[in-house]
Amino acid sequence: MTLAAILMPLLALCVVARGIGFLPLLGLVAAAAMLVDGHTPLQQAGAAMAVVFAIGPVLFLLRYQHDAARERTGSAIPFFALGLMVLLLLACTRAGVAVFPASLCVVVAGLVSVICRQSMVWQWAGLLTCVEGVLLCGVQAFQPSVVGVAGLAGAVVAVLGGMCIHRIMPRVVPLRPPSARKKSSPDSPEKNGDAA
Amino acid sequence: MTGTAGAGMFLAALAFVWPFLGAAAVCAVPVARSRELAIWMSAIGCVLALAVFVFPASGAVAAGWDDDPVQRAGRVMLAFGLLLMVLENGILHDRLVRSLPHVSTALAGLACIAPDPAVGLGILEAALAWGVFVFTRPAGQARMGWGLIRNGSVGTFLVLSGLLLPANTVVSGLLMACGLVVLTGLSPFGQFWQDENDTFLFLPFAGAALLLAMRLRTHGGEAFETALVLCGLLSVWLTACAGRFPDRQRLFRTFPSALALIAVGIQADVAALLFLCGWCLAGGGRAGRGWAVNTLACFPPGAPFVGCLLLLSMMSDWSWPLALLTVAGILAAVTRAVPARDITHHFWPQDAAGRVACSVLTATGLLVPLAMMLGAF
Repeated sequence: MTLAAILMPLLALCVVARGIGFLPLLGLVAAAAMLVDGHTPLQQAGAAMAVVFAIGPVLFLLRYQHDAARERTGSAIPFFALGLMVLLLLACTRAGVAVFPASLCVVVAGLVSVICRQSMVWQWAGLLTCVEGVLLCGVQAFQPSVVGVAGLAGAVVAVLGGMCIHRIMPRVVPLRPPSARKKSSPDSPEKNGDAA
Repeated sequence: MTGTAGAGMFLAALAFVWPFLGAAAVCAVPVARSRELAIWMSAIGCVLALAVFVFPASGAVAAGWDDDPVQRAGRVMLAFGLLLMVLENGILHDRLVRSLPHVSTALAGLACIAPDPAVGLGILEAALAWGVFVFTRPAGQARMGWGLIRNGSVGTFLVLSGLLLPANTVVSGLLMACGLVVLTGLSPFGQFWQDENDTFLFLPFAGAALLLAMRLRTHGGEAFETALVLCGLLSVWLTACAGRFPDRQRLFRTFPSALALIAVGIQADVAALLFLCGWCLAGGGRAGRGWAVNTLACFPPGAPFVGCLLLLSMMSDWSWPLALLTVAGILAAVTRAVPARDITHHFWPQDAAGRVACSVLTATGLLVPLAMMLGAF
């Protein structure tokens, strides 16, 4: 078990507690955990997908405004996720699994984020966290079909979630200095995005 | 490969490809002729599915296809579900919406025959993505689409997590059962359709999830089966308890799914097949029609009634207390949750779609036990 695989549940808990900002780090650590044992095509493909699904959505969200207005505090939610992780660990130990199920702990944290958070971006981050966990688990178990299905599910979640966010969330409008505003003619109004 | 085996394989492949051809044809023809063509294509699809059931491809297992007779019969139910969806809808002006039932049925059939259940889950996820894309194109539908993707993906990830754990363990069985309950849309755990058009996607989607559940039993083990039985039983009793509430329709229309999950849990696959027939032909948004209410409530002579008899006969061998609870739950649900008493008296419907559905339901209820006695299942 590598240090990267131990760090992943912690980072997944950070996603549950603080939001999508920790997702790129989670993706990079997942990619490192996949590549630490070798560089087979399955591992390389899994690592590439993990990085793309972690960094792409965060870069995409830079164009939109923050939507934390609907979110309640929810300080107990990370502890709920932690409790479920401990339960999973105990169940796996009872079932005879010798290795710490880091990737499934990541999936559990992502599911808690999807179910307990109200903000759409947070739920999106939870689903992408699940994708990272299933990808890592599939790569570690050398199951190409699971890695392929996780990649497909990740693409579906990333693309359709991005489309929904594009249609729901307001865009970031860059502020211009007053001098630039005076220069622009009144008969060519600026576009303010398609927030509605 | 001999000529007969080659012909059987060609027939099976044609049956899988046919709904895709139907979708392409329905998209290509003018709007006025699209409904007529869709009916013809789906009717030919039914004939092909029946032919594949009667004359199975002998080399299917060697080629990696699943050749279980219950799965083949389940694909026949999916094909008749498509025919009924096309029959009961009028002319649809949007190309993608009118091709969606064909695409979702084709992908559901493909998901059932995938050699690895994980691949079947991926195909179901693709069907969900396509359906959500089609539904959410009009303005104001983005949040609804996000809800569909979120719930469907949660079910997929739960089942995948269970598949990655060692087989026949408690945690693996529980994770897979939770995921399948969400994917089948069983009330109140995973009811994620909200619009009438959603039946275009979710009737075949939930049917394929039920057929996949039968194949996941080998991995899930006893915990998986027990969890499915308990979830189904809870849904049946909640349907009975919600009988006086105005929102009872939501629970009542997944009544066959709950019974089918119980049947899958106790390994009564033929009973699950009969409930699947009831789900495909009377489920979804048809709970307001008299014949569909009769079918959903397992009144004779439809397939779910026969399925109930088979289920209870096998359940008494599995566990007497649970059999008694199931009988009591079904009776309570039927007496309390059946929507309107007066419409249930009209057994023979006035419209063509209803007549086709009733004929298929009655014929299935008669023929499946006969085929079971003759050793077909």
